[in-house]
Amino acid sequence: MGSISGLLDFLESKGRAAATARLLLSVAFVLVVWEAVASVVESRLLIVPPLEVAQALSEESASGALWTNAVATIGAVAISFPIAALIGISVGLALASSRFLALTAGPLLTALNSVPVIALAPLFIAWLGLGFASKFVIVTIFSMFPILVTTEVGLRATDRHLVEAARSFNASYWQIFRTVTLPFALPFIISGIRVGWARALVAIIVAEFFGAFAGFGFAILAAGQSFDTAVLLAYVILLGILGLSGSLFFEWLERRLAPWRQDQ
Amino acid sequence: MTAASVLSVESVTKVFSGAGKPDLVALEDVSFSVGDGEFVAIVGASGSGKSTLLRIIDGLLPATSGAVRVGGEAVTHPGFDRAMVFQQDCLLPWKTVLDNVAYGLVIGGAKIADAHETARRFVQMAGLTGFEHHYPHQLSGGMRQRVNVARALAVNPRILLLDEPFAALDAQTREIMQGELLNIWSESRTTVVLITHQIEEAVFLSDRVVVFSARPGSVREEIPVPLPRPRTMEMKRSEVFVSLVDRVWRLIEHEVRKAVEEGMA
Ligand SMILES: Nc1ncnc2c1ncn2[C@@H]1O[C@H](COP(=O)(O)OP(=O)(O)O)[C@@H](O)[C@H]1O
Ligand SMILES: [Mg+2]
Repeated sequence: MGSISGLLDFLESKGRAAATARLLLSVAFVLVVWEAVASVVESRLLIVPPLEVAQALSEESASGALWTNAVATIGAVAISFPIAALIGISVGLALASSRFLALTAGPLLTALNSVPVIALAPLFIAWLGLGFASKFVIVTIFSMFPILVTTEVGLRATDRHLVEAARSFNASYWQIFRTVTLPFALPFIISGIRVGWARALVAIIVAEFFGAFAGFGFAILAAGQSFDTAVLLAYVILLGILGLSGSLFFEWLERRLAPWRQDQ
Repeated sequence: MTAASVLSVESVTKVFSGAGKPDLVALEDVSFSVGDGEFVAIVGASGSGKSTLLRIIDGLLPATSGAVRVGGEAVTHPGFDRAMVFQQDCLLPWKTVLDNVAYGLVIGGAKIADAHETARRFVQMAGLTGFEHHYPHQLSGGMRQRVNVARALAVNPRILLLDEPFAALDAQTREIMQGELLNIWSESRTTVVLITHQIEEAVFLSDRVVVFSARPGSVREEIPVPLPRPRTMEMKRSEVFVSLVDRVWRLIEHEVRKAVEEGMA
């Protein structure tokens, strides 16, 4: 009993070792359940055991298909997402600093945010063709909204007492922005970027479903159509790793930039 | 407005008017002056416009009519001749103690290295040596308020404005902080305007207590405190101290009663 609760205490604790242990434990759990289900379910169309998926992955890698797809997908996201973040932050900034914009463009953007813009993907592809342009637009539009919203919220949430204290030192508008408002909003912005990153991955896959000659989405669709469940799952797992590592990175960044929000 | 007065508040009136709300007269014809190096305390019922007056003196708010002069010059915006300590904790949570104390200097255009050097002196003066690289959330309430005072003093103001700086502290910490404030003040010799709702605190710390009437705030009476300096804890039991506290309390009590009666009428 004692050792179990000691183990749980360790897993609950802060620190890198505990976090790694938690991650390994949940991965192991998923693998065990997966293996168990795969040994019960007969149909290899429905589910494939982990080892076969790993095999499919190494075959994809050996044939070079994995790298072609990775370059297509990661390349498109790597170019589109930073631009989406930049646009999101800029528009959020504009909305937070202009009452006129907030009153006129704000409601429109909020409405757009609640529309599943991703459903317009086929339309963008019809307009912009099967190349990079359509993917860029779909990823950018779909992932910029959470960043835009959290930027505006963060900037507006700034403690007005802190602003007044800065003003009492005769700080200029720009100095207040640089030393008070922006640092205050930064953790908000990064959590928006974290959500945006997950959306960017969804967007690129959907875009590749509808029109692409390479990419994870393309490969998943192709594997699905040829009933190759092992390859399909291999790419889904790669996507999961991509999403998780991005999320962990942004969480780490948030902690780094806002240490005062942790242990208070 | 004697020759040596460094701050003069001249017939200051403040009316808050918002859309769809009736005008609120927060201050009405407030006049008093503060001599160089003097320690003045302002007491008054809650809502009598004390914070509003301090903001006007600091230049954060414009007066509706009347004027505030510092060294003869009319105040139009905040400046380094005045520094304010707010009632709420106003430290930047992402800056260390040292960077917080240096903040005003950096905003004023000082080089980081120079600002840190000055800040270190005031960190020491505030008894926070060893905590330079701590963040505000790692400090106790009393320590945080000392950082606030150090930050204000670091810009070397002629006038230090304190808005109920110890209100959020427990009784013991408050007492210690009062003593420390007097030490710092006797070292720096700045002029101090302190707002407090604690009458004992006002009498113990100040050379003169300005008693405010309830809303709209105006000066009801100015009471000199003839206790010698340095002030000691024993003085709190002296007859002079007790009778002064009693006198201020009577004035305030009258104001509170008036406010209550007006409320019932
Ligand atoms: N910015 C403001 N706008 C409108 N009314 C205000 C504002 N600031 C203060 N008041 C009002 O002015 C009155 C005096 O407030 P304040 O100066 O904070 O009093 P005190 O500090 O003596 O408690 C209160 O009734 C308060 O509601
Ligand atoms: Mg007040």
